[in-house]
Amino acid sequence: MTLTLDIVLSGLVLGGMYALIALGLTLQYGIARIMNLSYGEFLVAAAFAALFLYTGMAINPVVGLLAVVPASFAGNWLLYQIVLMPLVKRAKNQGMLEVDSILGTFGVLFVIQGVMLVTFGGSLQSYSYMSVPVHILGTTLALNRVLALVFALIIGGGLYLMLTRTRYGTALRAVAVNPVSAQLSGIDIRSASALAFAAGGAIAAAGGVLISMFLTFSAASGVVFTMKALIIVIMGGVGNMLGALVAGLLLGVSETAVARLVDPGLAIAVTYALFLSVLLWRPTGLFGRPAR
Amino acid sequence: MSVLGVAYAAAAIAVTAALAAVPLVASGYHLALGISLLYFTVLATAWALFSGPTHYISLATAAFFGIGAYTTAVLTDFLPWPLVLVAAAAVGLVVALIVGLSTLRLSGIYFVIFSFGLAEFIRQLVTWYEVNIHGSVGRYIFAETTSEGIYWRLLVLMAMVLGAGWLIRQSRLGLAVRVIGQDETVARHCGIDATRAKLALFALSAVFMTVTGAIMAPRWTYIDPAIAFNPVLSFEVVIMALFGGAGTLLGPLLGAVPLVLLFELLIGNFPNYFSIVLGTVFVLIVYALPHGVIGLLEAKLLPLRRAALVTGMSSFAEKVMGQVWSRAADRTAANDAPVLQLDNVRKAFGGLVAVDSLSFDLRRGEILGLIGPNGSGKTTALNLISGAITLDSGDIKLEGCPIAMLPAHHIAQRGVARTFQLVRVLGASTCLENVIAGLAFHAPPLWGREAEHRGRALLSRVGLDEKIDTPAGQLTYIDQKRLELARALALAPDVMLLDEWLAGLNPSELQVGIALVNALREEGLTIIIVEHVMDAIRSLCDHCVVMNTGRKIAEGPPAIVLADRDVIRAYLGDADD
Repeated sequence: MTLTLDIVLSGLVLGGMYALIALGLTLQYGIARIMNLSYGEFLVAAAFAALFLYTGMAINPVVGLLAVVPASFAGNWLLYQIVLMPLVKRAKNQGMLEVDSILGTFGVLFVIQGVMLVTFGGSLQSYSYMSVPVHILGTTLALNRVLALVFALIIGGGLYLMLTRTRYGTALRAVAVNPVSAQLSGIDIRSASALAFAAGGAIAAAGGVLISMFLTFSAASGVVFTMKALIIVIMGGVGNMLGALVAGLLLGVSETAVARLVDPGLAIAVTYALFLSVLLWRPTGLFGRPAR
Repeated sequence: MSVLGVAYAAAAIAVTAALAAVPLVASGYHLALGISLLYFTVLATAWALFSGPTHYISLATAAFFGIGAYTTAVLTDFLPWPLVLVAAAAVGLVVALIVGLSTLRLSGIYFVIFSFGLAEFIRQLVTWYEVNIHGSVGRYIFAETTSEGIYWRLLVLMAMVLGAGWLIRQSRLGLAVRVIGQDETVARHCGIDATRAKLALFALSAVFMTVTGAIMAPRWTYIDPAIAFNPVLSFEVVIMALFGGAGTLLGPLLGAVPLVLLFELLIGNFPNYFSIVLGTVFVLIVYALPHGVIGLLEAKLLPLRRAALVTGMSSFAEKVMGQVWSRAADRTAANDAPVLQLDNVRKAFGGLVAVDSLSFDLRRGEILGLIGPNGSGKTTALNLISGAITLDSGDIKLEGCPIAMLPAHHIAQRGVARTFQLVRVLGASTCLENVIAGLAFHAPPLWGREAEHRGRALLSRVGLDEKIDTPAGQLTYIDQKRLELARALALAPDVMLLDEWLAGLNPSELQVGIALVNALREEGLTIIIVEHVMDAIRSLCDHCVVMNTGRKIAEGPPAIVLADRDVIRAYLGDADD
């Protein structure tokens, strides 16, 4: 019983983090229509920033969020306006933009990764912050994990409310559904896309800071997070926030369960097996609309 | 073979011979570089065989490459080299067929990430197997081979993959995937077995990747899953092919060569800043070459390529590649039964019953008008007849044979052609290629000179003589409608379904359109038109079926049904509403 609870709780913490970082990618791909392969690099960059702030300047990661998240928002906004806008402008259709953005952000991925390699080296990093055990419902979790989950819930919930309850959020959702019609309703899709892209980057940074509190990371880990986020987005159905949440939690729990009960070596295999079978069962993800 | 063809063949042989001589003069570093160039070229070209025309971006390259490498690692102690390669090809083929059958229904980004997930899944499984069952994560490969041997094998493989690519492009299979890549629905209604075409190319492409992995494995001496199934490889291959131009035969080569050289140059000169420089160069390339290397070349060589398009059908290539196709379905000979019979057909989308107990007969040589207010189920009825969607219950018979459960391409091959309410042409293909798409996939298939001749005649028939080599996307709306009709006529249909084909024409164009439809009937074609232009209905139709909310509410000659109370009420609403 304790074991089950333990697995579920740890799984939910991990899954909550997955869902959060997938949320950011959903904003970037679902609304701004940019397939951003450098997404994970922003996450890792934020993790390094948190590490630097904590070990170098004794600023704790929670306060660090206040600096790192806006910085990433600004950085991603600039990335969209400077690097991606020319590609958006010249793309005649969605397919062309997809190819161009894959190629372009692949380059950005290398640049950011290279800068981090030169600055921080290639080794695995971690720091210890609030790694004290807390007892919840009879199981033990590290406080930093609980804290991360709480922040993930706050950020995800806040984003959800913003998207569903505000005028601007409605505009963003309209762009996600149909950019052409959104334009006809008087929505400036370029600025909406830039905003969504920047917001996605901000969430990646938040995820990076939170994850850095309890996971080790290195300059080369970005791709892993990009792919995990992509898998969750696809599994949930592109552009569907609820789908991302369910898929993220599902992966978190199943990964933890297999690692504890069967064999840690199979945990990732199970992630992919789960992902593959969901897509075979529902070709456009758990909550996806039929394509085209 | 034309003079140009002979020149190309001679050039290809000369280049291959020169490349084959490289190991005689080069060694060490240069030979290693040559191997890198070859193997990336093979992988990128093989990738583009399938992904170029279909636009399915596959990230499963590493999976097949790794399968090949592991086949070598496991079998090299027991089997001679040629058999190892054959075994690798066979394993690759089997895996590709299984994967292809289950995944090719995924579209767009779902397919992309699925293919990546698949590769990672296989890697994790192999890792787990090696650690837990085999006992160590890596394997040593003691194959009796040299760098020269690997180089020559790769060179042969490159010649084969380029040759296969050339054959495919010149054959019906190549046209089929080009059509599928632009519009799969159109492809199916042209009689193309889309699943089979995609599967064939996916499998072929995978076999080349697997064999590449099998050939390359001995270079490492020691392999583990992280080396053999390295996901970065999948990305590199995609980037190279896209950068060069995935839609053309030589594009991937033109992408692979400069990028491999760039990697080498950067690693040699900026070992510490490798990724920063690489990334920056990469972004700059994306800006500077919006259409890839091949786009840059094409801008300079466009006239040459235009000429090549027209001669892009080879009967020799078709003879080789044509084995992929099953024989197109035979038509049922005309008999006493009505040409087409709908019997109690029903189709619901969730709770909405779009077509409800619809029955009517279509007699030979008549024009039947299927009319009714918007949303009454007319287009759904056409979709059911043409096999675009499957009915829930009831029966549809063509010449007395049930066709309700047949796939769309089968129904098209049996002689039911259609146009679409929202016009669908293959925008990137020339008008001629659009029409040839209709000619090449029913029995007997036309290809080469014959197809071109017939295609020109059909275009002339609909008044597009001047536009034969124009990309269809550049046509005006009306011309696109004409082209769509020509493509439908190319199927040599017995039954033609015209979905609002006359909508949007101005009065004089309408007269031309009506005359054209009339002329088709005179030639013995049986036609169903869905139409809101009542003048056209009155002057064309022998018989009308009126639908409202999925049901037939009236049937008879146009003059009578259009005066029917229920029909007027359905169109205009009740007087006291």
